[in-house]
Amino acid sequence: MIVEPPRRPAAFRLDRVRVTDDPDAALRPSDQPVVLTEPEDEPVPVVLPKLRRRMRWSDVLFSALGVLVSLGIGLAIDRLIRDLFDRADWLGWIAVGAAALAAVAVAAISIREIAGLMRLRRINRIRDDAEAASRRDDRKAARAVVRDLADLYGERPETAKGRSNLAGHADEIIDGRDLIGLAERELLANFDTAAKSLVLASAKRVTVVTAISPRAAVDVLFVLVSALRLIRQLGQLYGGRPGTLGFMRLARLVVGHLAVTGGMAAGDSLVQQVLGHGLAARLSARLGEGVINGILTARVGIAAIEVCRPLPFQSEKPPAMADFMAELARINPGKGRPTDE
Amino acid sequence: MNLSSLADEARLAFTTLGDRATDIVNPTVRLGVTGLARAGKTVFITALVHNLVHGGRLPVFRAYATGRVTGARLEPQPDDDVPRFDYEDHVRALVEERIWPESTRQISELRLSIAYESASFLRQRLGSGTLNLDIVDYPGEWLLDLPLLAKDYAAWSREAIALARRPGRPPAAAAFLARAETVDPAAAEDETVARELAALFTDYLRACRADEHALSTLPPGRFLMPGDLDGSPALTFCPLPGEVADPPAGSLGRMMARRYEAYKSVVVKPFFRDHFARLDRQIVLVDALNALNAGPAAVADLSTAMTEILGSYRPGATSWLGSLFTRRIDRILIGATKADHLHHADHDRLECILGHLLAPAIGRAEEAGARVEIAALASVRATREGVVTAGTQKLPSIIGTPLAGEFFEGETFDGRTEIAFFPGDLPRNPGETLEGVDSNSRRTSPLRFVRFRPPALERTAEGMKLSLPHIRLDRALEFLIGDRLA
Repeated sequence: MIVEPPRRPAAFRLDRVRVTDDPDAALRPSDQPVVLTEPEDEPVPVVLPKLRRRMRWSDVLFSALGVLVSLGIGLAIDRLIRDLFDRADWLGWIAVGAAALAAVAVAAISIREIAGLMRLRRINRIRDDAEAASRRDDRKAARAVVRDLADLYGERPETAKGRSNLAGHADEIIDGRDLIGLAERELLANFDTAAKSLVLASAKRVTVVTAISPRAAVDVLFVLVSALRLIRQLGQLYGGRPGTLGFMRLARLVVGHLAVTGGMAAGDSLVQQVLGHGLAARLSARLGEGVINGILTARVGIAAIEVCRPLPFQSEKPPAMADFMAELARINPGKGRPTDE
Repeated sequence: MNLSSLADEARLAFTTLGDRATDIVNPTVRLGVTGLARAGKTVFITALVHNLVHGGRLPVFRAYATGRVTGARLEPQPDDDVPRFDYEDHVRALVEERIWPESTRQISELRLSIAYESASFLRQRLGSGTLNLDIVDYPGEWLLDLPLLAKDYAAWSREAIALARRPGRPPAAAAFLARAETVDPAAAEDETVARELAALFTDYLRACRADEHALSTLPPGRFLMPGDLDGSPALTFCPLPGEVADPPAGSLGRMMARRYEAYKSVVVKPFFRDHFARLDRQIVLVDALNALNAGPAAVADLSTAMTEILGSYRPGATSWLGSLFTRRIDRILIGATKADHLHHADHDRLECILGHLLAPAIGRAEEAGARVEIAALASVRATREGVVTAGTQKLPSIIGTPLAGEFFEGETFDGRTEIAFFPGDLPRNPGETLEGVDSNSRRTSPLRFVRFRPPALERTAEGMKLSLPHIRLDRALEFLIGDRLA
């Protein structure tokens, strides 16, 4: 790294020099933030030898078929419109209008899907940056993260107060880690509360429905649908509109996260898990099944929160199974009724 | 280190037990605030109380920022024999006259009662909902006396003489040494000689403190702040060169040794027993910039002094049962004050330099189980930041009004004009601050710090004065008492 020689002290009269306000403008390349913590104990990433990707005939086949099908659809529409013009002009014009409308809709949908995917990527990037900034206690990076986050929530009126509070602290000198914690508290605390109640409501609903449903197939279907719906709701809550493709990506991330964490949220103990549904199962096999399904949904919810949230849990307490267990085990028909919208 | 006798320990244990009993109904934290002269103790306490009482901006102080702290007010202090910290006068000086308040001359105390609601269910139901914060302010020089408890006169005398002979000591040291060398410790005791020597010794200590030397290691501390002991025999002694290990009875050396012991038992021990050993949390303020300004000798000296100060604490975590009888300081914050005299890009380096200088002491405290943190603070932020474009360079500068009489490169400031000031780059490598410490020459340091006036407070539309601005005061509070307000 190049280290410039230290600069000499100097004093200026304010009326003779130009003073700008940007704190980062004066940073020189060698003014990297000094890291006080010990060398990072990150594991060195293992680089796998890249598999040589061969041309796969199946890819060719599907691409070719795709092109054929698109051409076919195009041809069919073209033929249809021609036929309609042959029959009567006004029918033809209606068909042209409908086709144009469909084209516009396709374009709009693709734009929205792409925007949704980009939003998702943006959230992931913010989270990675935030993690790095708070690990190194890097003030500059943390400021950038907070700016990004405020942009992300720029169109959410419920974050207006948090954003204005954060902007009010912009002139103060706050360290990287503290700044991330502050942003977490100001912008995400409300979302966290809402997310927890979403998860709880969903888990309760699953518990009750499984406990009274007549067939196993209904259980499975209901759990699946509820879990997917929960993921979608959480995605909407933290990141706005994820879109269909975005939602599928999100669902895949959640499943991946579940696989990595083994479904155990931080702060859970095995004893608690065993005791929790062991007790319920004693009371009634049906109820036990319900509780197990509820727990499953809650785990999906926790994983989804961790995937959707644009900042890592640092100053706030991450949701743990224990938060939901007590409520689930206390299920009775009166209390178990879903409380959401 | 055997700092106190068995009887003292027993007495301490009983006091602690009594305090713990009071704690059940009236939770109390004793926060020690110390630092060497002009480190900013008074300003720190004033700013802390002012911000808590007047609803300051403390975003990082969690309990306060989330609205769980419902109020804070000053209350009568528990110890009747300790002077009260003169909060009102200091606030007036800071806010209305815009001068820095007078410095700490002696120990003082202030009780701040913080009303809060705990976030945990149990504590909210069972706790009293108030936390008494007893702020004990005492000069850091007194701490330098604590190691004396473990030293006898001969050892101390040898060390003090060696210190006075170091390069970089002011001319007053030579004057004292020249006179002291004409004296024979074995000669008959003589009050006139003792007084003359003590006066010379005090002059030497005082000269060390002056700005251009900015030295810190100056025990015995009470010589510079005698208070009501001025002129008493306990303050009329000095180190003697030569062999003083076993002087004959009735000799000058014996008299000095006796007075040294008296100093220990009259001055040092009561302070240790009544105040120092009863602290829960501690903040040590350090004015590293002043030392950096004065050169490597001052930095090395500051490092020695701070290491001794930190060495005198009894840090460490205690078990639940043990804490009934013993107090240990479990959190120590080292605050590098006057951080507003630097652009924030250099704050990390300032923290780094302190961490480097104090590494052994911090390691020892952490080993004992205490948490130690370093933070660059400004209890009252006197400047704002801006980037000055001068020629091709962009300089990260600070903007403020220098104190009247401060000077820089031939220009003396009048205390009214605002200037932009670039103090120079702090060294990247903290070891550089000590380079050239053994040579007598002053380093051609490209660092210069100018002192600024306290800020003019803005008023809101209703004419209310806003709270005092600060840097990382909230972080300091979070570290020191945040867990007690959980």
